[in-house]
Amino acid sequence: MDVTARIHEQLTKCGIKLAASLPDDWVAPLIERIAADKAMRHVRVAREAEAVAICSGAFFGGVRAVALMGATGLLTCTGELATLNLRHQIPVFLIVSQRGSIDDHRIYQEVQGRRTIPLLQAYDFPYHVVDRPDEVSSIPDAFETCRLQKRPFVLFLTRRLVKGEAVA
Amino acid sequence: MKAREAIDLLAQHRGDAVAVCALGMAANEWWAATKSEDSFYMHGAMGFAASFALGLALALPQAPVWLINADGSLCMNLGCLLTEASQAAKNLKHFVVDNGVYQTVGGLPVVNDGRTDYAAIARGAGFSRVRAIEGLDDLRRQLPGIVTEDGPSFTVLRVESETGFLRTPPMTYEGPEMKYRFGRALERRFGIEVFGPQGY
Repeated sequence: MDVTARIHEQLTKCGIKLAASLPDDWVAPLIERIAADKAMRHVRVAREAEAVAICSGAFFGGVRAVALMGATGLLTCTGELATLNLRHQIPVFLIVSQRGSIDDHRIYQEVQGRRTIPLLQAYDFPYHVVDRPDEVSSIPDAFETCRLQKRPFVLFLTRRLVKGEAVA
Repeated sequence: MKAREAIDLLAQHRGDAVAVCALGMAANEWWAATKSEDSFYMHGAMGFAASFALGLALALPQAPVWLINADGSLCMNLGCLLTEASQAAKNLKHFVVDNGVYQTVGGLPVVNDGRTDYAAIARGAGFSRVRAIEGLDDLRRQLPGIVTEDGPSFTVLRVESETGFLRTPPMTYEGPEMKYRFGRALERRFGIEVFGPQGY
């Protein structure tokens, strides 16, 4: 089973019925796999903060949801995560590519690599990094922690996980 | 018509709709008109009441969901119209109170003052049920049809500009209390589980 199928399987195990997404190239295969799943309502959004608010609204309908995006998108919605989710203690589970890592040789991801985690720490948003296929099974625990902590929770997917070992 | 008059009339036709209100004037006036706990009043995330309402409507297809939006908030997230149109939620109705100003901060003009045609933008996004309503009599005449037809619909309520900081005071609770009052109200009404057995 490839890693995208494994992640999808774990999201199903969490009881997730709605996914809202805006792709970057690392999470795109996962998004398309979810889009093909008739058991999950998939919502393509125009801006990542929409995904955050859609998942927050779905929470009040009793539906478990996930927001999928790239690291750059996560940076664009910190205001909404703070003033909607922190303010009201609404859990929202985000799956985000961990761009700007040492094996991500894209100049326009460099700042995200240096500043994303310090930013999450400043907001006191919990996060968990999934780096290897055998760690994908931690997703249900991460999802439950998100609900329990009643705040945004970011599950990062590394390059090694989604693209395989980097070629020098 | 004045915003308060328009929102009072909406409230009279609300039936069993669950409301999501944009922060500021829309939320404050809806609270003043309804005092309802089965409404969610945004206190932040300006522009994203629309997305919140869409998520709620998709999660609760058996519930009519009304979005009480405002022009300033809509301007901040026009992309929400594309997402709403694409999802075609039959239970979602989008109202925009268009007063042309940021009323709760003193009545400063909204961007592109007086030139924006929100109804045309919604049509362009793919909404087929679109109205722009200028007066109270027109609103009174059209509301029964808006209430009974399938969504998604988009209705602009053109109201007079008014000034004054917090003309109508906000609801008397906030933050986590709003979450729990709203979530528990929906649990009671729809028999759903928003919070787990341990309350979170």
